[in-house]
Amino acid sequence: MTAMVKAEGVHKSFGLVEVLKGIDLEVKQGEVFCLIGPSGSGKSTFLRCINHLEKINAGRLYVDGELVGYRQKGDKLYELKDSEVALKRRDIGMVFQRFNLFPHMTALENVMEAPIQVKGVNKGQARDRARELLERVGLADKAGNYPSQLSGGQQQRVAIARALAMDPKLMLFDEPTSALDPELVGDVLDVMRDLAESGMTMVVVTHEMGFAREVGDSLVFMDEGVVVESGDPREVLTNPQHERTRSFLSKVL
Amino acid sequence: MTVDIDKTDGPADTPPTRPEAIKAIPVRHYGRYVSAVIALAALGAIVYAFSQGRINWGAIPDYFFNDRILSGVGKTLLLTVLCMLIGVVGGILLAVMRLSKNPVTSSVAWFYIWFFRGTPVLVQLIVWFNLGLVFEYINLGPIYKDEWSQFMTPFLTALLGLGLNEAAYMAEICRAGLLSVDEGQTEASHALGMSHSKTLRRIVIPQAMRVIVPPTGNEVINMLKTTSLVSVVQYSELLRVAQDIGQTSGAPAEMLFLAAAWYLVLTSVFSVGQYYLERYYARGSSRSLPSTPFQKIKANLLSLSNRSSAGGTA
Repeated sequence: MTAMVKAEGVHKSFGLVEVLKGIDLEVKQGEVFCLIGPSGSGKSTFLRCINHLEKINAGRLYVDGELVGYRQKGDKLYELKDSEVALKRRDIGMVFQRFNLFPHMTALENVMEAPIQVKGVNKGQARDRARELLERVGLADKAGNYPSQLSGGQQQRVAIARALAMDPKLMLFDEPTSALDPELVGDVLDVMRDLAESGMTMVVVTHEMGFAREVGDSLVFMDEGVVVESGDPREVLTNPQHERTRSFLSKVL
Repeated sequence: MTVDIDKTDGPADTPPTRPEAIKAIPVRHYGRYVSAVIALAALGAIVYAFSQGRINWGAIPDYFFNDRILSGVGKTLLLTVLCMLIGVVGGILLAVMRLSKNPVTSSVAWFYIWFFRGTPVLVQLIVWFNLGLVFEYINLGPIYKDEWSQFMTPFLTALLGLGLNEAAYMAEICRAGLLSVDEGQTEASHALGMSHSKTLRRIVIPQAMRVIVPPTGNEVINMLKTTSLVSVVQYSELLRVAQDIGQTSGAPAEMLFLAAAWYLVLTSVFSVGQYYLERYYARGSSRSLPSTPFQKIKANLLSLSNRSSAGGTA
């Protein structure tokens, strides 16, 4: 098994504030990798580094064996052009906490947009595929609705369909259920569970310990920019080794 | 006044589940009647003063649909539309340049806006007209070659002078619009692998339009009136024509009133258009649309008749 994501001593600062202080981890192909931790621990920042929405300051970050954001020749690093970064992002789907659907497009158009604009897929094909994906997330009947006419849970499922439309090899989830009403969380988690069963490699920043325990293959607990504890989710969640992990879990479980 | 409230004496015929709707005597606003009288008196006095002045009012209807006046109106409209076109296209371009990561393009845009906003448009017009002092010839290689004074017609002077100035103002309006779009939209678009330019064209600008359109309507109305400045560079738009006719017909002041009336008519028409355009762009963002003037008048009349009928029963 090759590593889909590999981080070696990843550092990231915003001005003088160091948010990531040396992250080492490895996400294997086909695995569901959960990142948990208190807010401000740097887990969302790390996720955003994976598709180069944030630039890392030190260390190395690889996706599918290739360096993120840079090209290495000898011992020199060359920054990638915007177009090269965009090319790599095609293969990495991302789902945001606040959905970020395009409000001026219908659900169907949201899903069709990137394949048409980025991959040059023709309209008819893109539409067929978009309908297929909306059906997969259980929203076939909402294709013509604008995001403002959908509930949060429905919007998030459209957002997942939109990311899947690019046929990514890796999916990033940034607290996908944190902005949802409690009764809508289940629908989104069901879709993610299906996706995990289909073999998709997923990195999930989440507060849903139930999901992590049930679906997750690996789990990392982060605090103050470092990995405190990692391992099998069932083990870490039921029998945490570190005091910090224990106190965090006692508050959220 | 208490008589009304005493009417609740007979609760027998009203169902007990819901208390009777309140019918109270509304507060009387005597101040409104007083201010209306004062305003009408002031208006009357002004109208009277103007009617007694040495102005030949009869000349205005005689010339209102005069051929030359109408062609002046046409040119004013043409100039307004073309200048706004230059303004909007240039404005979007400048706003994008200003927000670009490229320090050269953003400084160029900054400098452009600084210059064109910082000098009076009247001065700019005159400078364009007199640029022949700097450039004797215009030479675009094999395409075009002429003397500057031949090339820079009054129309072109007006177009460049007003259009380029407008672009600087539109740039700031467009920039505000672009900045109003949530950053998450750009992020989502980038995360899907879309390029900067596609993100801008497909995602950001369509959403920015809702913010850009209302102040642009304002700019159109402003532009319509500002075109009167180009009478100084000999372009025969509405004001220029009116002044010319005024000098030959011996009714200069009358023709100015005529021009003013035409400007009012035109801006009124544009205002109505702007109102409905804004209403159109408000769709989807606000739950209930503001009512149109017709609906407002209808609602007012209805409530008025309701009030009088309620008063009648009291």
